Amino acid sequence: MTGDDPGPLIRLFGLTGGRARPLGETFDLVAIVTTVSMSFEPADLSPEYLAVLSVCHRPTPVADVAARLKLPLNITRVILGDLRREGLVTIDRPQPAAQAIDERIYREVLHGLRGL
Amino acid sequence: MDYAASEPGVTEVAPAMAIKILIAGGFGVGKTTMVGTISEIRPLHTEELLSERGVGVDDTSGVESKITTTVALDFGRITIREGLWLYLFGTPGQDRFWFMWDELALGALGAVVLADTRRLEDSFPAVDYFEQRGLPFVVAVNCFDGARRHDPAKVRRALGLDGVAPIMLCDVRNRESVKDVLTTLVTYAVGGAFKDPAVPDGSAVRTTASPVPGSAG
Repeated sequence: MTGDDPGPLIRLFGLTGGRARPLGETFDLVAIVTTVSMSFEPADLSPEYLAVLSVCHRPTPVADVAARLKLPLNITRVILGDLRREGLVTIDRPQPAAQAIDERIYREVLHGLRGL
Repeated sequence: MDYAASEPGVTEVAPAMAIKILIAGGFGVGKTTMVGTISEIRPLHTEELLSERGVGVDDTSGVESKITTTVALDFGRITIREGLWLYLFGTPGQDRFWFMWDELALGALGAVVLADTRRLEDSFPAVDYFEQRGLPFVVAVNCFDGARRHDPAKVRRALGLDGVAPIMLCDVRNRESVKDVLTTLVTYAVGGAFKDPAVPDGSAVRTTASPVPGSAG
């Protein structure tokens, strides 16, 4: 059964002020998030927000951010939307994969898969 | 060429890119096993919170009134190099989570539809979905121990495939087999636009499927 224990969910929605959707333009599960600015007062941000900024020093896809923070996706997205609004992260808008893959990337992927 | 080397931490290489591949199929067909076989990490797990009425509804208030359940999302990762990853997402099994498929399919390179010949009908929804979306997919028939070997052409007919999507037999527990499925998908999904250097005859798509008799291929 799901939903038996609303405690964690309530806490998580407290974290986002009850919001379940991110501010601004929506972004893909594998959109790349990059921390671009550390110009904030750490005391102003909750630990989860700081953790996102820390993880995304290296460009990191949204789904990975959620998994590494052990947060549900939509909570993660709200956090990311907030951080984007504050100008602390960028979130790219990925092209559809079939258009984004050129021959070099195609060969890299095949080579990488076969080398596993 | 004067590269912007003065900015620390900013490199001039191609922007980071994550390629999304979906692993679909009926419940218990081996999706999570397949992801686990090839992923460099233990399949990562995250959840999407769902509200009873919020599913598919664009709630402008931004406040969900009633969160009732979660849908688990398991995925694996293959790092090709720094800044280039393949992400394998298992699709949620239950019909009520179709809206998640829309999100997963958006911008994806393609999909693997895992099939179990004992329950081929479980693969129909995934095949229908990807055909409607125009998302390239390959059908991988998971050959469990003791499962009868099936002729891919018969599976193709049973699934009502148009004769284009590759069908192959695989063992989701076997790394080489999963690699083969994924390389086939990647090649098929780029439409044979590029030549696979490892295929001597220059044919871009390798498929274990024989042509369907009478198909207008």
